[in-house]
Amino acid sequence: MAKILKFKPKLTESEKFSLVRSEAIYTGLALAGLIIFWLIAGFGLSNVDVKIFHLPLWAIMGSIGVWLFAIFASYILSHKLFKDIDLGGDENDK
Amino acid sequence: MTNEGSFAALLPLVIFMAVMVGISIFVRHQQAGKNFVGNYFIGNRELGGFVLAMTTVATYSSVSSFVGGPGMAFQIGFGWIYMAVVQVTAIFLVLGIFGKRVALLARKFNAVTVVDIIRARFNSDLLAAISAFVIVLFFCGTMTAQFVGGAKLFSAVTGYSYETGLILFGLVVVIYTSIGGFRAVALTDTCCALIMMVGIVLLLHYVLQAGGGYEQIMTSIENNHPEMLEPFSFGNMPWTIYFTQWLLVGICTIALPQSVVRGISYKNTQGLHSAMLIGTVVVGFMNIGINFTGILAHGVLTGSPADYGGVDNIIPTTIVTVMPKELVGLAIIGPLAASISTISGLLIVASSAIIKDVYLHYKEKNNQPVESSKLRILSMATTAIIGGAVFFIALTPPSLIWLINMFAFGGLETAFFWTLLLGLFWKKANKTGALFSMIGGTIIYCATQAAGFKILNLHQITIGITVSLILFLIGSYFGKSSNEKTLEKFFPN
Repeated sequence: MAKILKFKPKLTESEKFSLVRSEAIYTGLALAGLIIFWLIAGFGLSNVDVKIFHLPLWAIMGSIGVWLFAIFASYILSHKLFKDIDLGGDENDK
Repeated sequence: MTNEGSFAALLPLVIFMAVMVGISIFVRHQQAGKNFVGNYFIGNRELGGFVLAMTTVATYSSVSSFVGGPGMAFQIGFGWIYMAVVQVTAIFLVLGIFGKRVALLARKFNAVTVVDIIRARFNSDLLAAISAFVIVLFFCGTMTAQFVGGAKLFSAVTGYSYETGLILFGLVVVIYTSIGGFRAVALTDTCCALIMMVGIVLLLHYVLQAGGGYEQIMTSIENNHPEMLEPFSFGNMPWTIYFTQWLLVGICTIALPQSVVRGISYKNTQGLHSAMLIGTVVVGFMNIGINFTGILAHGVLTGSPADYGGVDNIIPTTIVTVMPKELVGLAIIGPLAASISTISGLLIVASSAIIKDVYLHYKEKNNQPVESSKLRILSMATTAIIGGAVFFIALTPPSLIWLINMFAFGGLETAFFWTLLLGLFWKKANKTGALFSMIGGTIIYCATQAAGFKILNLHQITIGITVSLILFLIGSYFGKSSNEKTLEKFFPN
């Protein structure tokens, strides 16, 4: 089966570093979003008298909910916001 | 509690360790004739996404994640899982913030270690030497904790002696790391991470079965331990623990050298992107899975943790109680794999700190070429000597070993967090700031730990990381700026 090659725009070195800086900022924002979600999902829901599978809502949202949020954030970061670039060097993109 | 030394309990572990050694020998054979330093210390930058994810997760997840953590979950309840789940940030943060930047810089400077990059950024051999020293010092503490924790678990579950466990898995991990280097570490880590997940599923299954099913266990917890369903666990889980854990096992873990070095080792950015997603899935599964199992152990163990010898004995006791004898050996591989993978990951970085960052740099600076064969022998010998030294310390285990583990974690974060974060993303960061931060922060952190001094009852990492930042900013303000040539390389216009 033919390998599907993704198009990689040729970036200058400064563009690569600028891109990487933006991606680091996106990651920081994802962390901030996760912290807010974690606070709301756990402490925020701790007074809600709802149980699912014998577990209070905060316990589910504060564990599995946070995990799913992190997976979603990782997906958005890695598959939507982050770009493929040539890293340079001899071993690049074998 | 034990299986009284049955060979059946030992056999799966013996087979597993034999496979690990086999992988290492195979890797060594495959890499014959290639650039030794690049191969031995970073696997020639050939890691794909799956292996990158697994080796990062496995090195990060230690034996305490599988023993102490779920034991605490047994005692505290769901508040503990709520706190532990902050670790889902660990993989996407380190790879997202440092992954590409470190990879670009490593290729530009032909860097093999994190210290290489620090040296290039701050043009300071002194800072590089201190970094290498800090790495070796704190890694030895962490590795000792892994050796002791793993061997104690082995002894408690199989019935064989502590020393037998230490030799069986401790010595073998030193041998296979010495032989195969980073590539072998990454592949064996992958096996370890997979076996950890299998171990969690297996234990969860038998806990549910032995406890009479999920509904029965949870009903019992609702009736008998209502505090376990509260985030503050009726005062047993104060906000200070939540806050410091966010720093200690969440945000600050991005600067752990053993994690950052993974950024030097992968092949291409597609691999990095995959690893961020896979790693987050796996680390969350492990954290929630094993801690939830610890809570459900209430269906099997009806006493308090003290009745079983403390929280560290909850998981070993549960394994022995619920698992069929023939599967006990299999179940113990999971936690031991966590220990093994952490030791191997730290060992290879500690070895590179001595050989690459100190010895080889000294030789190159003095125009004294080192033959490849000599370098190979020295690298393997150094890995073996560090591992051997830690092994002998673990033979007479120091007390308070878990505190030593967390102490080392916080020390590494204090030393490297601002040096790496500000060094790689802030032009005005300079050598004076980095030196002040690393030396001053680490000393203050160690001193407050030794004195037991805390502010608002928060872990000393909060003091260490704050002092480290203040010193970095003061040093960068008063110190000499980095030269233009360096800045152009790190921050090209």
